[in-house]
Amino acid sequence: MEAALAANSITVKRSGQTVLNDVSFQVAAGDVYALLGGNGAGKSTTLLTFLGFLSPDTGTVEVLGDDVGANLKDVRLKIAYLPEAATLYPHLNAYENISYFLSLAKATADQGAIDAALDRVSLKEGARSNRLDTYSKGMRQKVAIALALLRDAPVLLLDEPTSGLDPVAIDEFNALVRSLAEEKRTVLMVTHDVYGACQIADRIGLLKDGELVGAFDRPQSGQIDTEQVHAAFAGRSGS
Amino acid sequence: MTDLLRETWFLSRDRAALVWLLIALISASCAVAFGLGEVASQRATIDRLRAADAVERDYMAEQYRDWGSAGYYTFHLTYDPPSDFAFAALGQRDSSPWKHRIRMLALEGQIYETDAANPDFALTGRFDYAFVVAMLAPLFLILLLHDLKARERAFGRFELLEASASGLWRVRAGLRFAALGIALLLPLILAGSATGSGVAFLFLAGAAVLLHLLFWWAVVAWTNRRGWTASVNLTALFGAWLVLAVVAPAGIKLAVDTAIEIPDGGDIILTQREAVNDAWDLPVSSTMEPFLERHPAWSDHATIESTFEWKWYYAFQQVGDQNVEALSIAYREGRDRRDRLSSILSWLTPPAKLERVFESLANTDVEATRLYENRVRAYHAQLRTFYYPKLFLDAPFTDEALSERPVYVQLR
Ligand SMILES: Nc1ncnc2c1ncn2[C@@H]1O[C@H](COP(=O)(O)OP(=O)(O)O)[C@@H](O)[C@H]1O
Ligand SMILES: [Mg+2]
Repeated sequence: MEAALAANSITVKRSGQTVLNDVSFQVAAGDVYALLGGNGAGKSTTLLTFLGFLSPDTGTVEVLGDDVGANLKDVRLKIAYLPEAATLYPHLNAYENISYFLSLAKATADQGAIDAALDRVSLKEGARSNRLDTYSKGMRQKVAIALALLRDAPVLLLDEPTSGLDPVAIDEFNALVRSLAEEKRTVLMVTHDVYGACQIADRIGLLKDGELVGAFDRPQSGQIDTEQVHAAFAGRSGS
Repeated sequence: MTDLLRETWFLSRDRAALVWLLIALISASCAVAFGLGEVASQRATIDRLRAADAVERDYMAEQYRDWGSAGYYTFHLTYDPPSDFAFAALGQRDSSPWKHRIRMLALEGQIYETDAANPDFALTGRFDYAFVVAMLAPLFLILLLHDLKARERAFGRFELLEASASGLWRVRAGLRFAALGIALLLPLILAGSATGSGVAFLFLAGAAVLLHLLFWWAVVAWTNRRGWTASVNLTALFGAWLVLAVVAPAGIKLAVDTAIEIPDGGDIILTQREAVNDAWDLPVSSTMEPFLERHPAWSDHATIESTFEWKWYYAFQQVGDQNVEALSIAYREGRDRRDRLSSILSWLTPPAKLERVFESLANTDVEATRLYENRVRAYHAQLRTFYYPKLFLDAPFTDEALSERPVYVQLR
């Protein structure tokens, strides 16, 4: 099967510094791939490269078979992107924010569809008509996730989606991501949450100082072994 | 279309932008209202003076029953009514006179009496509509557009917006630009239509305002493309405004004034007054000779027999004008040269250029002052043409003859 996302030996520099160094990985369609790494490892940089905001100095990135640099507009239409610490517009309410951003991407959703998405991320119904500046960080994150869901894009790029969410919300989110995979959507999420990554990922790539230093696959049944990943992440042993 | 609707809705929820647009609308409206008031008051002044002038002339006609005294005591009103479009740019009418009461005496001193100092060539004037669109409009545009991208970057929305839509910034900036254009032009168009300024005038004025805003849009777009933060953008743009709207016009004025010397208006008055005063003590011939040189037609009637004769008196008034002629011409030519040089140099600063365009459309520029002065000179020449035959040929004073005396008339 052709990979939905592919990074082919990419090297990315920012302000003259090499931030990603010869990174290669693929995400199969309908898979959940978690890119795990510490602060400054290059996780966000990887997503920005898939979105075409940064171009690799060497190597290529592909989305659904298209080279990103050559087909920027098409590629972006196929991606729903959840930015790191997403702040939507604080002076608009959840409905207004979602409608606005959907319309930007030439997508639409009626009130019922938006409510359904907000139900999926379990945002309190009573809060939905309030301005986002009355929300907690986690509630704002939920709205941004709901927006990504409603984009109905085949590919989702999620930058630290669980940051700001409480443990219950994290569990709900993890279940949500699994259901996306069942809908045959491809998810590339970056995170530093070892436990969460192991719970939901079909594959984990370990990123350290801009280099991919390890990969873990989900076994036939069950999930990736947290202990093992944690050990690798903490630098005790690789795999 | 949906892009436009969506962004219009978005703009309608942007309180800061709305406040700035409202301030722009209020500034433009106030300036227009102020200009209309000023024009109305100038017209009312002219009407009042004309009425008073007629009454006074009738009174003088009864009081003084000889040509010499009538010429000496009677004032004649001249005036330059504001154009229909003058409300938009009061221009030189602030510093240069638009009404003179003149007598049959030496003229040049009377013209520059109200103008003892040099005329003001400041490239920016007082608070009128031209000031709002030249000086304040760039600031409004800067405030509306400087953080268009920077704000989104600062709040981490930039990539999400950019990944979702292409051409968003152009739509957002274009809408704010258009909204500002409407806020600024609406009061002008309403007032212009009400005063009957004419479609062509309003079109030219509107086009000039929009071109000026387009210039500033280009400047803002240049900074927005740098990827600087909003406060860096704002600092850079405010600096550009300071240079182009404040420092450069002041520098140009200084350069023009230094490069082109002109005589003081006060010198004309002083020189003329001395010439006229000295004439009393000089032999009659030193007045009559230069007079007859210019007016040979009266040579056969120019003998002065008694110690005072009106024709001698008016001759030395005329000679007084002849004595300051060179000074007056130097003054006027210098003023015109300064104006031309300012006009060329003002291309360096769009705000100053826009004010000049408005003054030219409104007939409140240096050219309009020049034309008015020349109309006053022509009228004064008519008075002399009327009085000289009476004085030199000793014509009898009759009401019928007096009714032929020219009256200054200028239509709006
Ligand atoms: N805008 C930027 N300009 C230059 N360097 C940057 C920029 N953003 C991030 N970096 C650098 O790139 C490296 C990777 O950053 P990033 O991809 O954001 O890491 P993370 O894994 O925490 O998401 C870091 O060393 C960071 O300092
Ligand atoms: Mg990051």
